[in-house]
Amino acid sequence: MTSTVDTETDAGRPAPRSGLLAVTRAPGWVRYALLAVGLLVAFWLPNGLYPAVAVDILCWALFAVAVDLLLGFTGLMSFGHTAFWGASAYVTGLTAIHLGLPFPAAVLAGALAAAVLAVPIGYLAVKRTGIYFAMVTLAFAQMVYYVANEWRSVTRGENGLQGVPRELFGLDLTDDYYFYYAILPIVLLGLAAAWRIVHSPFGRVLVGIRDNPARARALGYPVHRYKLTAFVLSGFIAGLGGGLFAVGHRFVSLDVLHWTTSGKAVIVVVLGGIGTLWGGVLGAGILVRLEDWLSFSGFEAIGLVTGGIFVLVVLVFRRGVWGSAAALATRWAASRRR
Amino acid sequence: MRGTVGVAAASAAAMVLVAGCGGGGPQSGGDQKLTGGRIVLGVLNDQSGAYSELSGRNSVKAVEMAIADFKAKHGDKAVTKDITVETADHQNKPDIANTKAQEMYDRQGVDLILDVPTSSAALRVADVAKEKEKLYFNIGAATTDLTGKSCNKYTFHYAYDTYMLANGTGRTATEQVGKNWYILYPNYAFGQDMEKSFSTAITAAGGQVVGKDGAPFPNTSGDFSTFLLKAPTLNPKPQVLGTMQAGAELVNVVKQYNEFKLREKGVGLAVGLMFITDIHSLTPAALAGTTYTDAWYWNFDQQNREFADRFQKETGTRPSFAHAANYSAAIQYLEAAQSAGTDDADTVVRELEGKEVNDVFLRNGKIRAEDHRVIHDAYLAQVKPQSEVAEPWDYVKVLKTIPAAEAFRAPSADCKM
Repeated sequence: MTSTVDTETDAGRPAPRSGLLAVTRAPGWVRYALLAVGLLVAFWLPNGLYPAVAVDILCWALFAVAVDLLLGFTGLMSFGHTAFWGASAYVTGLTAIHLGLPFPAAVLAGALAAAVLAVPIGYLAVKRTGIYFAMVTLAFAQMVYYVANEWRSVTRGENGLQGVPRELFGLDLTDDYYFYYAILPIVLLGLAAAWRIVHSPFGRVLVGIRDNPARARALGYPVHRYKLTAFVLSGFIAGLGGGLFAVGHRFVSLDVLHWTTSGKAVIVVVLGGIGTLWGGVLGAGILVRLEDWLSFSGFEAIGLVTGGIFVLVVLVFRRGVWGSAAALATRWAASRRR
Repeated sequence: MRGTVGVAAASAAAMVLVAGCGGGGPQSGGDQKLTGGRIVLGVLNDQSGAYSELSGRNSVKAVEMAIADFKAKHGDKAVTKDITVETADHQNKPDIANTKAQEMYDRQGVDLILDVPTSSAALRVADVAKEKEKLYFNIGAATTDLTGKSCNKYTFHYAYDTYMLANGTGRTATEQVGKNWYILYPNYAFGQDMEKSFSTAITAAGGQVVGKDGAPFPNTSGDFSTFLLKAPTLNPKPQVLGTMQAGAELVNVVKQYNEFKLREKGVGLAVGLMFITDIHSLTPAALAGTTYTDAWYWNFDQQNREFADRFQKETGTRPSFAHAANYSAAIQYLEAAQSAGTDDADTVVRELEGKEVNDVFLRNGKIRAEDHRVIHDAYLAQVKPQSEVAEPWDYVKVLKTIPAAEAFRAPSADCKM
């Protein structure tokens, strides 16, 4: 039933593969140094940036890592990840408003809902690869968008769900500065989970499937089931980001389900580096900060700048910022050894 | 093991760093009369998308004009001479509007945020204003929720809303153009509100809505042919096509309306929301005979004309009602701060509430205390045929003035301050 499908994989496979390998081959002290720098930056961020922007960066970092899990490590380009980001945002918002749960519980409910939603969508979508997979996921995301738009009694249509509370055992988190530190552990957990997935035997199989699905199947791996699991895990992590985004902005609007949000997630990953995991985090930081800066800059064609940067990255730095830096470092290390 | 040590060291270092940087929370206001000794007005609107023409950067210019006029009027007696404008482009995205509004109040010391088109963004900014206890005059968004269930002490709604647009046009066009309507609306809050308000006004005037369709929003393809071709085939045949699209989308609807020759097929056109900039880009010939409700028209009388001349000198174009409303809102805020002698939001709100005002934009204006709706005369306008256009931008004749009390709805019971 599925044999005709995977033969088209090669045409649709988007990922350059060197990024991940380059970083994992780096010596231990480099990795710990990078981790330390990353954590330092994460702890420092709301002191250097406007805290609301820092919160956005964290949410988008999770979203980007979720997309990269599929795009970079499973070879599946999802163009409909807003379905999970947005569905979780709505479920988080609704549970927080109507049940008054503490926000981490509401976010967890949202992320679980996103994972549940990912099961049927993933089940159907992973039967295809490449452009067909992208189109199927896009179609499902559009369906979710229209459901949210039409189901006005619950989602409040385009007016959006306003007034999502930030409840956490009576703590006052209205200031984004403190809210940032409240969500940081959740985000770090999400990122660690993604790292663990990629570096587990399961993640190795995913990379194997990405590179050669036919061989993976020949070795006895149930390819579809692996892809579906990756899809659901990715949906969960995207949902984590979406739920935090809803609580962070204290409202949910249809924008979270709009297809341009999927597009932005893909741009973030490409900018940071496909298949590098941390590249997505870096990409989120760059793009969110850039958009924030541009809206105060007085420049009238914001899309032109972000679009231009995207074109530049695709044409010149195909490995993205992280991937290019890793490649440079590897080359430098190799030249020293010689 | 080495990993754990590394992580622990990093976290410890980070803790020290955070502690060193201190709270970083919101600054508390000083007890002087003006925060920071100055007044800052913030214009938050769409400067690169569909609504940039009708408001956008030229509204910033209008606010600058208001500041200059205020300074000229009060001279040395002005509450302060240090009045500046900050601006940001929210790109019609509510999440960006949310962040920018907070940033304006917190970081840029903005005392008043102006404009904010797109209902979801406007509603969110109203919440931000309430949280930060700073003022917000909405101009660009039309949702009546701002003075309904989302109303709050710090939010005022200026210029127009869906009720005002629908009530004026829906009623008059039913009486004058035809009783059977087909309504085309963009499928988001504004369009949905407009469709509801129009249907109510049409039915009240003895007409009926034969059909209605929500077109996707934003309609990136700009294609409305499915709906426009359907209109004349309905039974009974609609005599009026009411389109609720705004800005660039309206331009596409009207172009296609003309391409399919619907006027010749006996389907007249009524527009929910139109700005003078729309007529300018479509040319009056394409819209001749179309009726709509206008909040203000630059060539209505001498006072408006003088303002329009000055505005044209600054910007090279005639003002839309949104530009005039931004000007007026800035003036009214500054005057209120002047008489209050402070920019403290609560004091200024007390100063504004219930005030009866007249300026270039507000005729018979009143700032209602019950729901913070700013009411004023509105105008039923009709686009002139090309032959009657005497000068550029002179596109409209005012059929009748709708008195302030009739133009807007009565304060809503949903609004609890």
